[in-house]
Amino acid sequence: MYTILICDDDRDIVSALDIYLTSEGYQTVKAYNGREAIRAAETHEIHLILMDIMMPELDGIRATAKLREGSNVPIILLTAKSEDTDKILGLNIGADDYITKPFNPLEVVARVKSQLRRYTALGGAEKGPGLLTAGPIAMDDGAKVVTVDGESISLTPIEYNILKLLLSHPGQVFSSAQIYEQVWNDPAYGSENTVAVHIRHLREKIEINPAEPRYLKVVWGLGYKIEKG
Amino acid sequence: MKKLQGNIIAKVCAWIVLLAAAFGAGVFGVRALISFQSVASDSWQNSGRFYSALDDRRRELMEGIELSRQLELLEKQVEEGAGNPLAYADIEAIREQLEQVQEQFGRSNTWFRFRVLADNGQTLRGTNLKDDEAIVKAVWDVHYFSFELYDGGENGYYYDPETGFSDPPTAGLNPETEPAPLKLVLEYGVPEEIASAEIQDEFYQIWQTYENDRVFFDQYLTGFLNLGALTLLALIWVLWTAGHKAGEEGIAATWQERVWFDLYAAVMIAAVVVLAACTIWAAERLYWGRSYAVRGEDFDTFYNLGMLGAGALFAAGVGCGALLLRTFAVRVKARCLAKTTLLCRVWGWTVRTVHEFVRSLPLTWKMLAFFMGYLLVSIWLFAVGRYDGMFGLLYWGLQMVMAFLLAWWTLNYHRLRQGTKTIAKGDLEYQIDTTRMPYDLRLQAEDLNNISAGLSAAVDEKMKSERFKAELITNVSHDLKTPLTSIINYVNLLKSTEQTDPKAAEYIEVLDRKSQRLKKLTEDLVEASKASTGVLSVTREKIGMSQLIDQALGEWEERLTQQRLTLVANLPEGETWVFADGRHLWRVIDNLLSNCAKYAMEGTRVYLDLERGKGQVALSVKNISREPLNVPAQRLMERFVRGEESRSTEGSGLGLSIARSLTELQGGTFDLAVDGDLFKAIVTLPQAN
Repeated sequence: MYTILICDDDRDIVSALDIYLTSEGYQTVKAYNGREAIRAAETHEIHLILMDIMMPELDGIRATAKLREGSNVPIILLTAKSEDTDKILGLNIGADDYITKPFNPLEVVARVKSQLRRYTALGGAEKGPGLLTAGPIAMDDGAKVVTVDGESISLTPIEYNILKLLLSHPGQVFSSAQIYEQVWNDPAYGSENTVAVHIRHLREKIEINPAEPRYLKVVWGLGYKIEKG
Repeated sequence: MKKLQGNIIAKVCAWIVLLAAAFGAGVFGVRALISFQSVASDSWQNSGRFYSALDDRRRELMEGIELSRQLELLEKQVEEGAGNPLAYADIEAIREQLEQVQEQFGRSNTWFRFRVLADNGQTLRGTNLKDDEAIVKAVWDVHYFSFELYDGGENGYYYDPETGFSDPPTAGLNPETEPAPLKLVLEYGVPEEIASAEIQDEFYQIWQTYENDRVFFDQYLTGFLNLGALTLLALIWVLWTAGHKAGEEGIAATWQERVWFDLYAAVMIAAVVVLAACTIWAAERLYWGRSYAVRGEDFDTFYNLGMLGAGALFAAGVGCGALLLRTFAVRVKARCLAKTTLLCRVWGWTVRTVHEFVRSLPLTWKMLAFFMGYLLVSIWLFAVGRYDGMFGLLYWGLQMVMAFLLAWWTLNYHRLRQGTKTIAKGDLEYQIDTTRMPYDLRLQAEDLNNISAGLSAAVDEKMKSERFKAELITNVSHDLKTPLTSIINYVNLLKSTEQTDPKAAEYIEVLDRKSQRLKKLTEDLVEASKASTGVLSVTREKIGMSQLIDQALGEWEERLTQQRLTLVANLPEGETWVFADGRHLWRVIDNLLSNCAKYAMEGTRVYLDLERGKGQVALSVKNISREPLNVPAQRLMERFVRGEESRSTEGSGLGLSIARSLTELQGGTFDLAVDGDLFKAIVTLPQAN
């Protein structure tokens, strides 16, 4: 049984999130500003925190920084600010993930689950030969099994090979033509546009919100890559 | 330092010291001046005073001789019995007088030495020299005087070679009835040095004055110089402190500074000149007085008082000069010398008036007048008909001045032109340098500068208001997002509850759809305002256009296929590189394809053409509109405008506006063309090598 701390100055949002998370079987603790969140984190055993950024008294960024001083509990920021700089600041300060408002409740639940699995897996499976990982994605090339947050997903052979190529070179950008040549083993003569479709399918299977991918990223005009770490 | 300058006691003391020192310097100066004569001459016997005293003595001596002659004659008459019965009384009286003279000329009473010789120097008739004393040795300079003594007492004439008075001594005389005149020669003089104070006659006084002068001249001069230096120091102090007042910042003016400086100076200079003249006059008086006056206590009092008077006059002159210098210093310190000088004011006013008048003339008049002047001088030179010497110089000088003025004008006109061009090109910050510009051009330049400043202020204002608008939209949309989050969440919760009324589910569906649309609208709104105001950061790099189109097609293919739209992409061989920001460019293409999905007629083809031009890459997206496009292409790019007016479809009307702003942010151009139902968007971007 996991306890989730929900912190937002809008009480309706907190209670809506409370309903969703309770119906998923989580216990919740509510807080309405940064100070209350820190106090709640001290008095309760918290496994995950949902934290709004814009709050009175103590904002989400500072509260996160404060919490990070003594705890590595996963923190997901809820933000109405959609500027990139805010997201980067939040992640740099120690947040594990972010969700932009207005959010889809299902996405929140999915991200909470993902973060909790990673937090409780404690290192996850041992890295053996042929085991490729990036974030929550793990590929056992021997068993031809791909898991995201420990849950196995089914991929077509082409999707599997594309993912394998990207996973084995994390951070490196591959153009559609390169991917085509490596995966299909054919020279690319304008037939590489199918790569984009396969990548999109792959993204839909891996990512919680395919429109805002966290791991399999599109580098527009250059190609695709798997985010490091 | 400031405190010292403002100290009133120090000021008063400085003035007292100044006047006292000037007074002392005046006294010493006059004394030195008077005694300078003694220092300059090589002997005390060269002075006029000595000569005059010597002459007096000589006259007295001559009177004595005459008396003795009279006595001789009277005694002879008495002896012969031809005398007057009262002759003996006369003899008594003359004897008495003679004794007095002899007493006066006695060695114990005077330093005067003489010999009286008669018969061509053969007979010594009288002397006060000692027997073994030679006159040449006894005196420094022997003076000679010859004269003839006639019988008849007072009727005697004598010849005085110094005055030139002469009466022919023998002419008109009857040698038979009247005896021949007695021819006498006087030899006289005064010893070179007067060694003792035993005999205090006039020569002793002259000698003493001379000696005193020689002894004290150095002291007088030293006193004058020292006190003069002290006066100067006091003056410097006065000038340094002038205008400073305790407890007041800056320079405080007195009533003296309210008087026109030139008037004040004229009065003061006049006073100084008069006082200086008076001092010199007084010194002269004293000098002559000392030379010829009878010495005594009265004279000493007069002399000392006169000396003080001369000193006072000198001090007054110095004081007036100091006052003038003081007000001069104050005015210079307060920087109002020219302002408080009447002549300067009048001159300045005249110059300004003429200047203003010339400036106020229309340019044409000015030019005409200028040319007329040039013409007149030229005609005059021509009439003179000479081009050498002064005239040649004048002629060439005139041409040089003309050339210089023309060059000055044209150069500045060129500068004005360049400045105008720069401003016209859009550099509103540019200010034309108006230093040393002709007046008329400067007016033009200043007006231009004002226009550009006004424009630049207006542009700044616009930028500021745009940025403010963007900020406002961001803030408002943030405030919209929070309640929207609740709406979406609770609609979602509603959807998961059991609804007994079947209509409720339908309503919830509408709420769901509209809340999603609201979400999309707020997001687009923020993006549109950010893109149009340029607050978005743009990182331009080399982007593969074909790759990007591939990726975009990958994202959109399925949705377009659902709309039964066929994509036809015409890409050139190989990769086409452009210089752009990948994320922004993706949004442009994303918006264009989204437009196709929303507004293109089902079952038609969508064409994507990529063309490489000269340094430019053009991407065009063509599709057939589902609804008739009754709006001009330009209007379509404005915010909240859509091809159909009903607004029943899902778009926000911001897509094309965002696409255009983003394209322009990356340095590209975005064009729309509408031809019947054919809709065409062209994105042009700079090619990257």
